[in-house]
Amino acid sequence: MSLLSPVEGWYEKKVSKDEKMWMIIALILCLSMFVWMIMWHVYGKQNPSSITYRTSTAEFGKLSEAYIKKYMIGADNGVPVVRPEANSEVFLLAEMWRWSPVLVLQKDQSYKFHISSRDLVHGFSIQPVNMNFQVYPTYDYVLEFKPTESGEFKIICNEFCGIGHHAMIGKIVVIEKDEDLKLYGYENFKNAATTDSTVKNEVPLTDAEMALMGEQVYTLKGCGACHKIDGSSQIAPSWKGLFGKEEQVIENGKKLSVKVDEAYISESIKDPSLKKTVGFENTPMPVFPLTDDEIKQVIAYIKTLKN
Amino acid sequence: MFRTCDITGFKVDLRSEKLIRANAVFAVISLLLAVVAAILLVFTRYQPVHLLGAEWYYRLVTFHGLNALIFWIIFFEVAGLYFGSTVILNTRFCAPKLGWFGFALMVAGLVLSNVIILMGKADVMLTSYTPLKAHPLYYLGIILFAVGALIAVILFFGNLMIARREKTYGDSLPLVAYGLMTAAIIAVITLATGAIIYIPTFLWSLGLIQNIDPAMYKLIWWGLGHSSQQINVAAMVSIWYMVSFLSVGGTSINERVSRSAFVLYILFICLASAHHLLTDPGVSSAWKVWNTSYAMYLAVLASMIHAFAVPSSFESAQRRWGYNKGLFQWLSKAPWGNPAFSSIILAVIGFGFIGGTTGVIFGMEQTNIIVHNTIAIPGHFKGTVVIGTTLTFMGITYYLIPLIFRRKIVGFKWAKMQPWMFFIGIALLSISMIVLGQMGVPRRHWDNTFSGGPFTYNFNPAVDFFWALMMLGGVLAFLATVIWILIVVVSVFFGPKVNGPADMQLSISPPAPAAKAHKGFEAPGTLVLTIIFLLVFMALFFLNWKWLAATWNVN
Repeated sequence: MSLLSPVEGWYEKKVSKDEKMWMIIALILCLSMFVWMIMWHVYGKQNPSSITYRTSTAEFGKLSEAYIKKYMIGADNGVPVVRPEANSEVFLLAEMWRWSPVLVLQKDQSYKFHISSRDLVHGFSIQPVNMNFQVYPTYDYVLEFKPTESGEFKIICNEFCGIGHHAMIGKIVVIEKDEDLKLYGYENFKNAATTDSTVKNEVPLTDAEMALMGEQVYTLKGCGACHKIDGSSQIAPSWKGLFGKEEQVIENGKKLSVKVDEAYISESIKDPSLKKTVGFENTPMPVFPLTDDEIKQVIAYIKTLKN
Repeated sequence: MFRTCDITGFKVDLRSEKLIRANAVFAVISLLLAVVAAILLVFTRYQPVHLLGAEWYYRLVTFHGLNALIFWIIFFEVAGLYFGSTVILNTRFCAPKLGWFGFALMVAGLVLSNVIILMGKADVMLTSYTPLKAHPLYYLGIILFAVGALIAVILFFGNLMIARREKTYGDSLPLVAYGLMTAAIIAVITLATGAIIYIPTFLWSLGLIQNIDPAMYKLIWWGLGHSSQQINVAAMVSIWYMVSFLSVGGTSINERVSRSAFVLYILFICLASAHHLLTDPGVSSAWKVWNTSYAMYLAVLASMIHAFAVPSSFESAQRRWGYNKGLFQWLSKAPWGNPAFSSIILAVIGFGFIGGTTGVIFGMEQTNIIVHNTIAIPGHFKGTVVIGTTLTFMGITYYLIPLIFRRKIVGFKWAKMQPWMFFIGIALLSISMIVLGQMGVPRRHWDNTFSGGPFTYNFNPAVDFFWALMMLGGVLAFLATVIWILIVVVSVFFGPKVNGPADMQLSISPPAPAAKAHKGFEAPGTLVLTIIFLLVFMALFFLNWKWLAATWNVN
C-alpha cells in the first residue's frame, strides 16, 4: 500500500511472470542501445568528433582573418566567399552576428572545419540538411564534413547570442562542377587566391582605391553583420547615406545631435560606447581593433555609399 | 499540534500543514507567471502574429523558463516533501521555524530574480551560458532560492529521522515516502552542483573572478539543470503510486522492484549532464557514450520498470476489485470521473510516449546531431516536465484541496474536463515542436524569416501547418492552466469547508482486497500496453537513425 508501510513479507515476494518478462525486455533494449552507439562509430558515417584544440578568441580571430585574406574569391552580401580545396582545413568564425566566410564546397569531398567563436557561445546549424553543433569561444572544434548533396545551404545560429541572434545566418554552397557557380552568381569570382592588396604603395592612393580597400575591411571585419549598405537599419545604422547626416546620439545619458564626419566615425570605431546612436542603445557595438589606415579606408568607403 | 484527519485517519501536524499550504500557494503563483509569459511567447513564434519585439521575446523566454522549470516545480516539490515526510508518516515537523526561514529565502529569490529579469538586466535565458553575463542580483536570487530549497530538503530528512526514532510507521517506509526520499537525495546532489556553478558565476558577474570557462560552465550547469529534472521524475512517479492507492487502493505489484528502480535513479541519473554536450567540443566520444547512456541506460531501465509497475498497480487492484474481464476491463471501469486519476493516467501516457521516447532517442550521441538546439528539444521536455510532472502535480492538487486546505473543489465539472484539455493542448504543442525541430527550426529564436541577416532561409513549407498546430495547442494548454488556477484559487479561498468524508468529491478507495494466489500473469493488460509502447519507441528510434543517416558525413 503505497501510502502505508508495505505488507508483511513484501521483500520476499516473488516477481510476477509478466513483470519479469518486461524487465528482461527492457534490459535487453537498454544494452542494445548502448552497443548501437558504439557500433555507429564503427559502421556509421555521422559521428561527432573528439578533436578539440584550445585557442583564444584573439588567436582564432587572426587565424580566420589570415585564412580569409588568403583564399577569398569574392563577397556575397558583405560576407567574404572562400572556395577551399578538397581535404583542406577550413576556418569558420562565429561572431555576433554572422558566420564568416561563405564556403563553396565540392560534393563528396571532405573538409576539415575548424569552428570557433569570437565572443559568446553559438549554435552551428546547417539547413536544410539539419546538422547541429555547439560553438564555443576559446575552443577550436574540428569537424570533418563531407557534403553528400549539392545545393545551397544556410548556417543558422541556434544558441541564443544576444538581441541580433535571429540575424546570424551564413551560407555554404555545394557544387558538383565549376559551371554550378553560376547558380549562385559566383561565376565571376576569382579562381585562385587573391593577390595581397595591402601591399604598401609609395604613391598616394586615390579615393576610389581607398574606398575599394574600405569595402574589403567592411567584408573582412564583419561590419556587414550589423551595418547594412542597403538602407535597412535593424540592429545598427545603415551606412547608406550615413556620411554627412545629422544623428541623434546619447553621450553620458544626455541626448545631443552630431554630424557624421571623419572625426565622429573614427571616434565611434575606437570607442563605440562613448556616443550611442538613439534607437540602437540595446545593440552596443563591440570594439574592433582597426588600424588608423583601415579606419581611413572605411570612411572613404562610407562616403561612396550615397542615398 | 496535531489534528486527526477525519477522511484518511492520518495525524496531521498543523505547523506542517501551514508550510505545505504556503509553498503550494507560491507554486501556483509561479505557474501563473510562467503561463502568462508562455502564451505571449507562443504568439511571438507564431509568425503571422509575431507579437513581441526581439528584446521582450528573449526576456520572457528567460522569465518563462525560470518560473516554470524552477519556481513552480520546486515550490510544489517542497510542499510534496513536507507532505510526504509528516502527514504520510504520522509524524511532527522537526523545525517549523527553519521551514519558514527556508520558505522566506525561496520567496526572496523568486522576487529578486524575476524583478531583475523584467528590468531587462538578465536577458540570458535560463541556462545563462557564459560569457553571457547577467546582473549579479539575478544570480544571487537563484542562489537564495536554492539555499531555501536545500533547507527544505534537509528538514525532510529531519522529519524522516523523527518518524523513524518515534516509530510512527511500520518497519519500512511507505513506497511514496521512499520515492520522495530518493527525490530528496537527488535534490541534494543537484543543489550542490548548482552551488558549484552559480557561486563562481555570481563572483564573476561582480568582477571578482576573471574568467569562467564556457564549456566547464555548461558541463556543471547541466549537472544542476538536468539532474533537477530527475528530482521531478522521482517525485512524479511517487505521486503516481500515491494516486493509485488513493483512487483504487492499489500499490506496486512488487514493491521490491519499484524500490530498486528508485535506487537506480539515485545511482545513475546524475550522469545526464552529458545529454547537453553531445555535439560539443572538449569531451571525447567515449565520455559522451558512457555518460549520455547513464552507464548503459540503467536509469532508463528504472523508468521502464516504473512504466510497468505504475499501470500494473492500477490493474492489479482493479482486478482484485472484480474488474477481471478481458484485457482492459480494469481500465474501462476505472474512476475516470476522478480528475486526479485521469490526470495521472494522461501524465503516464504523455510522459512515456512523447517525453520518454524522444528523450532517449535525442539523448543518443549521434542522433543528437539532428535535434540539438532545435525546437524539438523544448518539444521533448514539454512532454516530460509539462505533461508528466506538471499534469501530475495538477492532478494531486485535486486531493490536496480537500485534504490539506480542507475546502471543497469549486467547479468540479470543470475539474473533470481540465486534465483532458491540458493533455490535448500540450500534446499538440509538444508534438508540433518536435516535428518543427526535425525540420531544423531552432529554439529560442525570435524571427523565422531571419530579417536583418545577410541571407535568408525558408524552411520546408510544411512548417506553417505545425506552427498553427503548435499555436492551437498552446492556447488550449494556456486555457486549461487558467481553469486549473481558477479552480484552485476559488476553492482554496472561497470554497465551502470540508467537514468530513461526506464532503469528499474525489473518491478515496480502501486498500484493494488481497489477491488469491495465482500463477499466470498479474497484469496482462499492462504488459500489452508496454509492448505497444515498445513498438512505438522502436519505430521512432529507426526513423530518427534513418534521418541521421541521410545527412552529410561528419567525423
